[in-house]
Amino acid sequence: MRAIGKGSLASILAVGLHITRIILWIAFIGLSIALVVVPLGSIISIGAGSEAIAGVDNYLEIAHQFVSFGVMLFVVTRLLEILKTLRFGTPFVKENADRFRTVGYALLIGEGAKIAFGFLSLLTDADIEIDTQVITWLAIVAVFVLAEVFREGARMKEEQDLTV
Amino acid sequence: MTISVKLDRVLLDRGMSLTELSERVGVTIANLSILKTGKAKAIRFSTLEAICQELKCQPGDILFFDDEDAVADAAE
Repeated sequence: MRAIGKGSLASILAVGLHITRIILWIAFIGLSIALVVVPLGSIISIGAGSEAIAGVDNYLEIAHQFVSFGVMLFVVTRLLEILKTLRFGTPFVKENADRFRTVGYALLIGEGAKIAFGFLSLLTDADIEIDTQVITWLAIVAVFVLAEVFREGARMKEEQDLTV
Repeated sequence: MTISVKLDRVLLDRGMSLTELSERVGVTIANLSILKTGKAKAIRFSTLEAICQELKCQPGDILFFDDEDAVADAAE
């Protein structure tokens, strides 16, 4: 299978990621609206005590999803940018090393937020599990390793370009 | 960078243009320009050999080592 061009794995991935990004954007906008609407609903029904508490639970679950989808959207956008440089034939640039690193940080924030929301849910009746897996942390480490490999690759490419 | 390139001086002495040298040694003007302006990170022996052959000079006529630390120490 070719690395770039029509029918290549990169182009298939790009199509898949573009579709994913559209879906994520729709979900993210929906969650953003919900983040504003749910507290307003709680204020309106402030007189009815139990409903107000239910509003807090919902708000926590929506906020949790908002952060998760935000992280996913960020990661997918960065991956599309990386694939774009591959299409132009210049994947080994310092910018891609930085992109991989920011993806690593975003995943770290996402996983951290997942745990934090899990603990916060203990205070309410929100249905969020405190759940983290070793394989997720290994994947995050792998992204950071990839970032460093790209940094060295970019340095080597620059050296090769400046060898006469 | 402590290695400096004096290709422009040798070219001037020989009355040869960069374009002419490029055609003779088979290295693109862009690459020779990188070398001339001191932006190059490395030079292949084959390139150096071809340049020296065409300019009838020694590698030492083109490449110089500026020992900045030694100069600074002497100044102190």
